[in-house]
Amino acid sequence: MVSRRVIQNLTSEFRDSFLAKLGVALVVVVVLVAIFAPFVAPHNPTQQNLDASQLPPLGFTQVEQKTTSEMVDGELQTVTVNETVEAKLEHPLGTDGLGRDMLSRVIYGARTSLIVGVLGTLFAAFVGVPVGLIAGYYRGRVDDALMRFADVSLAFPSLVLAIALIGLWGRASVPVPDPFVALGLVSGMPETFVLPGTVVVVVGIVNWVWFARIARGEALSLRDQEYVKAAKALGANDSRVVLRHVFPNAITPIIVLATVQVAAIILLESSLSFLGFSGTTLSWGFDISQGRDYISSGQWWIAGMPGLAIMISVIGINLIGDWLRDALDPGIEGEGGGA
Amino acid sequence: MSQGRFVAKRTLQGVGVVWGVVTIVFLLRFITPGSAINAVAPLDATQETREAIARELGLSKPLYVQYGEYLFDLVQGNMGFSYIRGQEVTSLVFSKVPATVELAVAATVVAIVLSIPLGVVSATRRNQPVDWLATLFSLAGISTPNFWLGIMMILVLAVQLGIFQTSGRAVAGVTVLTSLVGPRSFLDTLVLWLQHITLPAIALGTYFTALITRLTRSGMLDELGKPYVRAARAKGLPETLVRYKRTLIGGAVITEAVFSWPGLGTLVIRSINLRDWPVLQGSLIVIGTSFVLVNIVVDVVYAYLDPRVVNE
Repeated sequence: MVSRRVIQNLTSEFRDSFLAKLGVALVVVVVLVAIFAPFVAPHNPTQQNLDASQLPPLGFTQVEQKTTSEMVDGELQTVTVNETVEAKLEHPLGTDGLGRDMLSRVIYGARTSLIVGVLGTLFAAFVGVPVGLIAGYYRGRVDDALMRFADVSLAFPSLVLAIALIGLWGRASVPVPDPFVALGLVSGMPETFVLPGTVVVVVGIVNWVWFARIARGEALSLRDQEYVKAAKALGANDSRVVLRHVFPNAITPIIVLATVQVAAIILLESSLSFLGFSGTTLSWGFDISQGRDYISSGQWWIAGMPGLAIMISVIGINLIGDWLRDALDPGIEGEGGGA
Repeated sequence: MSQGRFVAKRTLQGVGVVWGVVTIVFLLRFITPGSAINAVAPLDATQETREAIARELGLSKPLYVQYGEYLFDLVQGNMGFSYIRGQEVTSLVFSKVPATVELAVAATVVAIVLSIPLGVVSATRRNQPVDWLATLFSLAGISTPNFWLGIMMILVLAVQLGIFQTSGRAVAGVTVLTSLVGPRSFLDTLVLWLQHITLPAIALGTYFTALITRLTRSGMLDELGKPYVRAARAKGLPETLVRYKRTLIGGAVITEAVFSWPGLGTLVIRSINLRDWPVLQGSLIVIGTSFVLVNIVVDVVYAYLDPRVVNE
């Protein structure tokens, strides 16, 4: 499994690298916020309040032009007044077009992004790693078939393939009860979390090939190692050799890849929900698409805040990815050299 | 292996991949819920139209016959008919290709012009403020959704400052060139073109600027003498190129959606929303095939520049 040398590399690299610490800190915060969203969010993210709509974030004021027309002495008079909209303390990141609290929406959006990112990556790994290990271990026809199939599926960009599949299959969403609300620990928050099921499956389908390729590469180089040959000579059957000797030694690059994949899938999920191919209305990409309609009137925060949230989360994950890569294997992705 | 044989081998592999692409796209017709006819007929089609379409597609014939006919039509450049739009798919899809190619090329130019100096400066002034800034920029660049970046640029540079247009493609890049000899004013055409293409090109190009900055930096550090980085680059560059090309086309789709850029990406999204599968299938084939073509060209150029690749 993960050897002591690997652990040593990880800790020494972590100690030396400010960016690695920053990455871990960012990701820990985002994960905690996502898990404990009902406790952290100040408001119910789906609660509309038209009296408090389009409030700017703290520290900003928004000038809105209000035009009123009335008939004075049989003539139509149009009056334009500048109205200043002040930020309110109870909505620190402002509110969206329907008066929903942006901070709460950003907090709940973290759940969608992380769950899709993690489940999608797990799905891709559970399909890709066994296929890759088998292909690399046995070589021959299985391997050829896999590599040709990988070439074909890599010919479609992930986003294009994903929207095509979702377009064909529809947008299934699975409501999952929120455990904290179900246990009565917190009230006034959404009772269910909507898991965009099709999106999880589809991002897994479009990404499993990366896992298959890396697992295959590892299996190819490991199958000729002395200890693998020795295990075979001692009479271990193939499944035992693959499971006990090849897979554990291939795990490091797979973990590095998985980290990068979570970031890639979070970006892919946000693109899908931005384009309306998700299945949930509580996600960062969805809010950006809502906020887009308010750009021409200057309400930047409705699209701006969820975008910053994506950026911060993905930066955090990428920093962890860089740390793992530098510590474990400078060869992956051609990105050697510390930050 | 000689260079010539390498080119021939890659081309043959490419033909195989295109065949695979076409087969998967053909099979997409059958993974949609309901019968294949629903995927092609407009939702409000009459019974007669549906029967006519079924006859046209040969849906009652065995699968291998349908597949054979599909391939036969494709080879002749016939990608079917969009009953929803009432148009030939081939001409529709190819009419959108120039806009997407123009956007992709512009984004690549942005990426190369910005990233190589950044990477060089970053590597030669290692661990100085300018290196930190470049590192921060490239980190943010690969972590920012390009559609969001596009919207924010629309907000600041188009809506607030009014320098650029928010959407659309007023003139083709080619028109700018022909205006040099034609009756149109060259300068006006150029400005109009720049007003439309600059923001989408930057939105799409930023990710690649960041990616290449990171690569150039580690490539430079290689020259400055780090053997393990050299090994990393030898292994990593082809993989990064694969990612680059995939992400470029995928990124173009969503950038087009943000800027209403009338290219293949907009066509794909509209086709899905209209449930216009023949057009979707045609677009997928064109996207997949062009990816394979670019792949072969890049591999051949790369093999020419770095002959070690040929012998792998």
